[in-house]
Amino acid sequence: MAAGPYNYSYIFKYIIIGDMGVGKSCLLHQFTEKKFMADCPHTIGVEFGTRIIEVSGQKIKLQIWDTAGQERFRAVTRSYYRGAAGALMVYDITRRSTYNHLSSWLTDARNLTNPNTVIFLIGNKSDLEAQRDVTYEEAKQFADENGLMFLECSAKTGDNVEDAFLDTAKKIYQNIQDGSLDLNAAESGVQHKPATPRTTLNTDQQPSDKGCAC
Amino acid sequence: MEDESEGSLSPSQDSIQTPAVLPWDRFSNWLHCACVVTFDLELGQAMEIIYPSHIRMTEKEKMNICYLSFPDSNSGCMGDTQFHFRIRQCPGRKQIIKSHVEYNRECPIQLKSDDAHYYGFVFFRQTKDRSIRRGYFQKSVVLISRLPFVALFSQLVSIIAPEYFENGEPSLEAACHDIDQWGPPVPGETMNLPIFGTVLQVRIPTHKDKLVGAGQTRTQSVPTLPAQSILPSLFEVDIYTAFQTILPHVQMLWELMLTGEPLVVMAASPSVTSNTVQSLVSLISPFHYCSDYRPYFTIHDSEFKEYTTKTQAPPSVILGVTNPFFAKTLQHWPHIIRIGEMAGEASVPKGFNKLKKASSLKTLDCKPGVYTQYKPFLMKDKGILKRLIKGMQTKRPVEAQNAILRRHFLELTQSFMIPLERYMASLMPLQRNISPHKGPPSLRQFDVDEFVKTLHQSGPQLTSIVKGEWDGLYRKFFRSPNFEGWLYHRQYEVNQKLQVLHMEALCQANLLDWIQDKEEVEIVDLVLRIREKLKFATNNSVAVKPENINKLEKHMTTIISSLPEDLQSVLNT
Repeated sequence: MAAGPYNYSYIFKYIIIGDMGVGKSCLLHQFTEKKFMADCPHTIGVEFGTRIIEVSGQKIKLQIWDTAGQERFRAVTRSYYRGAAGALMVYDITRRSTYNHLSSWLTDARNLTNPNTVIFLIGNKSDLEAQRDVTYEEAKQFADENGLMFLECSAKTGDNVEDAFLDTAKKIYQNIQDGSLDLNAAESGVQHKPATPRTTLNTDQQPSDKGCAC
Repeated sequence: MEDESEGSLSPSQDSIQTPAVLPWDRFSNWLHCACVVTFDLELGQAMEIIYPSHIRMTEKEKMNICYLSFPDSNSGCMGDTQFHFRIRQCPGRKQIIKSHVEYNRECPIQLKSDDAHYYGFVFFRQTKDRSIRRGYFQKSVVLISRLPFVALFSQLVSIIAPEYFENGEPSLEAACHDIDQWGPPVPGETMNLPIFGTVLQVRIPTHKDKLVGAGQTRTQSVPTLPAQSILPSLFEVDIYTAFQTILPHVQMLWELMLTGEPLVVMAASPSVTSNTVQSLVSLISPFHYCSDYRPYFTIHDSEFKEYTTKTQAPPSVILGVTNPFFAKTLQHWPHIIRIGEMAGEASVPKGFNKLKKASSLKTLDCKPGVYTQYKPFLMKDKGILKRLIKGMQTKRPVEAQNAILRRHFLELTQSFMIPLERYMASLMPLQRNISPHKGPPSLRQFDVDEFVKTLHQSGPQLTSIVKGEWDGLYRKFFRSPNFEGWLYHRQYEVNQKLQVLHMEALCQANLLDWIQDKEEVEIVDLVLRIREKLKFATNNSVAVKPENINKLEKHMTTIISSLPEDLQSVLNT
């Protein structure tokens, strides 16, 4: 009984990467708070956001790591990538330089995550159509060539933001269902605990007696 | 002044703790401002003084205060007239009063500092004065507050206003300085409030007060100051006098209030309307009346159109009006109370018991009474009526009559409330379902049908002799804002409590053991959950024991230090 608001059967780790000022923190804020943050300070190190979503009737907690985009933080980001189930790679459609850097971000993501990590390309600031510097078609082609999912979003208006986060989760969940993502492999970035005793965390079926005096 | 106030905010986040008191801080614990409204022959009602002078109000707020500070119709309000009103605060630039945050946590819900409305307490004087063109002196002193302390502020304005009319602005300044010496309102304490050399003494109720006989649980502390004036209550009005002419219908009015029906009170004077509307609202105490109510409402009010529109059903509000114009404007309202003068105290007027059809009300000259087609769910308790009529005949003091009536409705409301509370308690999760490794358990949903089923076993019949269709009354109540407000408040309280219990469970758990075989993502999840708990704890410092906070902080440090170094540095930023 009493399924609390934080009872969930999976935790997915997400990371958000991309150049400085592309709007990573704003996307996170829009997704977790459903609000646009107008004056967002530079992210220092890492910020966390969480939200529980539902995919195919399963409650999934997203643990989202929002990284600093500045170059000087890139060296210390290894632990960010470790165990990520999803990576949201963001560029700014009004600044071509942020798009040009994507391949280097993609290299990092590929090298530092496991092969099953779902990488989702986001072209942010789609509300600024007049200042567009990268066409949709061009980015779409890049995504297709590299096997990435892709959407243009606006953290300001909230347009497509929800979809980017949810589509990523759906894809991860689908990988679990068809067996291509092995949950027992270390660093899969996904925790699920239905059957074995060590996996009773956060399932709402039965309370675990193990270790927790309550 | 602005620099100073900014300075108090910036240095530390937890400025609630810092004791620095700025000029007027103590004043604003009680009042927003004091105003003088005059009648200017060119402009009409006009704001003459706002004190303290740095207080800013929007034009709309000022306009509403001006119109509501004067009688709406040119009736014979000669001499002094006292009443109060309630207006909406304009949104934006909300200033949070530090002491009110704490006060709101401990006070009874219906006495909370209101951040959406202002209450205005008016003392209006109209006298013949040959030195003035048109020959009349017409002026009001108005106290504006967020606190619904009706009895206290009515008393206060009746002390301040005559002084002001006698001696002018310096006395208003002196009064405000006196108020700026008062300590903040603390629920449960008896306060001594000096004003013009006299001391008002009043007890601030707390939500812990026992419901029946509230206000009698005086604290032990003996007042050190000689109190010249002891107020029996901070907020209660004389409901007996308010309802004297419509006594047989008060139980029906209680139903209307409980279920949030639109209601209009018409009378010749704003004193009568404000006292009656306030009495109506207090009839369902300890329930908080959640819809809007206007003890006095005029055709100039900024919500006039919104509230009187005929294109929609009348809103769930109570309006007190004096202008005959409303008899027409509000003709379509389902329930109308017309209060007249009580002819002779001992006599029971003819037709006292009869309800009147709303359609027969065309003008304000109509007979006093209650105009409605509402069919009450409960049968009238004739005992209380007999007792009160007997009291009239034997000239029982008004205070005693008032106490009898108040107690009667308190008991009736409690009889209605107890089954709700009992059912609510059954929705609580069990203690053993509180696990540190799951989310805090939450309350089960309030199920109306399930609740109604419990009524046969443990309904109001256990505590009340009043018979009738209680089920139907509950069902109507469930559709009202009052139920929504009550449920929200109770859920909030229970969830706070559950959060605290859950936090304690987390403190007691052996987390280091638990993380042994866990993946990084899960441990980070745990760290994030502990962080969230600590945030909750700092926001609710009263409810959470400091040793638990320490424990949790220690837990977190140990957990983080057990992680790989690169992750440690990430989590420590």
